[in-house]
Amino acid sequence: MTESEVAPASSAAGQAPESYESAEHQSAAPPRFDRHAEAILSVTDLKKYFPVKSSGLVRRTIGHVQAVDGVSFEVRKGSALGLVGESGCGKSTTGRLITRLYDPTAGSMMFQGKDLATLSHKAMTPMRKEVQMIFQDPYSSLNPRHTVGTIVGTPLRVHNVVPDKQVLGRVRELLEVVGLNPEHYNRYPNEFSGGQRQRIGIARALALQPKLLVADEPVSALDVSIQAQVVNLLRDVQQEFNIAFLFIAHDLAVVRHFCPEIAVMYLGKIVEIGDRESVYDHAHHPYTQALLSASPDVKQAAIGGRRERIRLEGDVPSPINPPSGCRFRTRCWLAQDICAKQEPPLLQIGKSHKVACHFASELNQTPPRPVTTGLLGVDDQGNHDAGSTPTTLSTNPGYDDEWYDLKSKSFVKA
Amino acid sequence: MALTPLEMAAPDVTQLPDQEKEAEIAGRSPLQIALARLRSDKIAMVCSAIVLIFVLIAIFAPLIAKLFGVEVRAGDPSSDTDIFNFPVIGPPDHGFTWKAPLGLAPNTGDDNLAEWLYGARTSLGIATVSTAVSTLIGITIGLVAGFSRGWLDRVISFIIDTFLALPLLLIALALAPIITLRFADQPTTLKYAQVIALTSVLIFFGWMQLARLIRGEVLSLREREFVQAARVMGVPTRLILFKELLPNMMAPIIVSISLGLPFFVTAEAGFSYLGIGIVGVPSWGQTVNKAVEYFDTYPLYLYAPVVGIFLLVVALNLLGDAIRDAFDPKTRR
Ligand SMILES: Nc1ncnc2c1ncn2[C@@H]1O[C@H](COP(=O)(O)OP(=O)(O)OP(=O)(O)O)[C@@H](O)[C@H]1O
Ligand code: SF4
Ligand SMILES: [Mg+2]
Repeated sequence: MTESEVAPASSAAGQAPESYESAEHQSAAPPRFDRHAEAILSVTDLKKYFPVKSSGLVRRTIGHVQAVDGVSFEVRKGSALGLVGESGCGKSTTGRLITRLYDPTAGSMMFQGKDLATLSHKAMTPMRKEVQMIFQDPYSSLNPRHTVGTIVGTPLRVHNVVPDKQVLGRVRELLEVVGLNPEHYNRYPNEFSGGQRQRIGIARALALQPKLLVADEPVSALDVSIQAQVVNLLRDVQQEFNIAFLFIAHDLAVVRHFCPEIAVMYLGKIVEIGDRESVYDHAHHPYTQALLSASPDVKQAAIGGRRERIRLEGDVPSPINPPSGCRFRTRCWLAQDICAKQEPPLLQIGKSHKVACHFASELNQTPPRPVTTGLLGVDDQGNHDAGSTPTTLSTNPGYDDEWYDLKSKSFVKA
Repeated sequence: MALTPLEMAAPDVTQLPDQEKEAEIAGRSPLQIALARLRSDKIAMVCSAIVLIFVLIAIFAPLIAKLFGVEVRAGDPSSDTDIFNFPVIGPPDHGFTWKAPLGLAPNTGDDNLAEWLYGARTSLGIATVSTAVSTLIGITIGLVAGFSRGWLDRVISFIIDTFLALPLLLIALALAPIITLRFADQPTTLKYAQVIALTSVLIFFGWMQLARLIRGEVLSLREREFVQAARVMGVPTRLILFKELLPNMMAPIIVSISLGLPFFVTAEAGFSYLGIGIVGVPSWGQTVNKAVEYFDTYPLYLYAPVVGIFLLVVALNLLGDAIRDAFDPKTRR
């Protein structure tokens, strides 16, 4: 991307004294997406259903919150995957499943040859060194009764990373890495600002030198001016320690400068995933297009001239009782019969681009007929078509070398 | 080269306040803030002084008794009391004497001061042990209940509710004769059995409030992100409970202790007064029980233990209130 494209971004994001692309980062090439890079985390069909219990003495399960309902993605070594979606769509739950704060209902999470989904809590302990988390709320993520030294030193002590005597020295180093005064180790969190606290949280997450960091909206609780600093810090540590990120955010602006790959979630499912250019410049899902139009940061001219802001009607439906077929259909302006009857598969439509929509297309280029009928063996209304048989679709969490070309409606090879 | 004093002093003056500020900002934990507030509370300071005096009396009871030349349980009814069973020296019939500053007890001729000093010891001893043990039980059960959502939590909550519904007085009434009968032939064992039984009953009924309080605190704290962070780091559950959660519950625990102490002092005196507490060991409640019928003729006999109980309980209660205020951020003064 060029300088001129970045400039309006920072002005739109507010009076940020330091943009996401500060001077020192412009020399470094923006992170590129390499679909052949080795995946460090490979998530397949991950599900988390929270039981809904009746009240009263005998507490029966009367339903399930389908917080995460079959998501698949890969996070590549030293790269970053951005996970974006509205509130309540299951982003945090996905992050907490990967760090095993929740036990998954189904699915697998392969990390360095081990399936994090089925490890017992005891077997998970050594893996915790490799997978760490940064939390959203800097005011609740640090124990108010512990000093900074204790907070950052706890992971070192628990995992016996360094002998007890060296913990303090290591803590000071870590504080220095995240740009804090190392002599402040004996202070309490309430003496720090939100941005500084978030830096303490980052230092704590870095203490174990993880390979994968789940960052759950690490900057959304911060001032816009501070957000850029913290994002830049994250990028620095990513490059310095070669850490892979799962970066959760609720809008596309923040992840844009951080993640070479973006996944968009809606009601527990990934609706679109792809490299940055595909998602930002060639979004094929109506929900992504709506998010993009609401994001002030994203350049306006990219998708066919000036874009109107798309206003989504209504609220996100309840994940206890999600809509049949496509979950987005209650708010989608393109919805037709087939959308209620058939669930659109997450279909690879480009080298590194997948989308789940019967009418997948760039904005204002909606095809007259659903693009998925041939694959699902249904007619245009979504009813089963006796004449055609459904195609078995790939379940690869990464990208295949063969994909479905929307124009020719056939599979093409790279 | 000669420096004028002014030149030398200058850097110091600018440096000092800075350093002081640093030192003050560093180590001000919420606990320290509360203590600082407590220190500036005059009532709290007077009350802690009173409590401290009682604690010293309790600890050094034998020493003080020796100082006054009095002994506990040393009365001899035949030589120390007259034909009306009233003491032959000191009040009420004779003047003040250093031999028995608070007089002797009617009937037995035991020295009142010695009984009073040792009574303070019994009272504070039982109250302290009961508070300590019931606090420990309350914390442990509350932590376990709060952190183990599901059936274990529901079982523990049910037990807490059941215990809260049990009538303390009735149980104590029922227990007293059983203990007395069981150890009737062994007077020395009976003495200790009574103390242990009373302490146990008090503990038995003293832990539920705190357990409930702690459980509620855990329920709200466990959703905080720092607990999640500890779990992501792989901190064992035991350490999460005691190192991450417990320090955040110091305020309710300290408040509970400061309110529990006066309750137990009152309860011990009350039970002993009713005759279902302890008999073999000196106790204020027991003295009150014996002294009530002599109030018309020998008021000092009753006043001594009553003043002791009154002062101690009022001081402890006021101190407890002050501590609660000091820990409550909403009552900034
Ligand atoms: N422990 C839980 N028990 C029951 N339901 C839950 C639980 N945690 C989350 N949910 C539900 O799962 C859904 C997804 O929640 P999640 O926190 O993952 O959303 P999110 O995308 O992170 O949203 P936000 O942007 O607000 O953080 C929500 O409907 C939420 O109510
Ligand atoms: S499948 Fe239908 S309802 Fe769902 S996003 Fe596509 S057009 Fe809209
Ligand atoms: Mg969230």
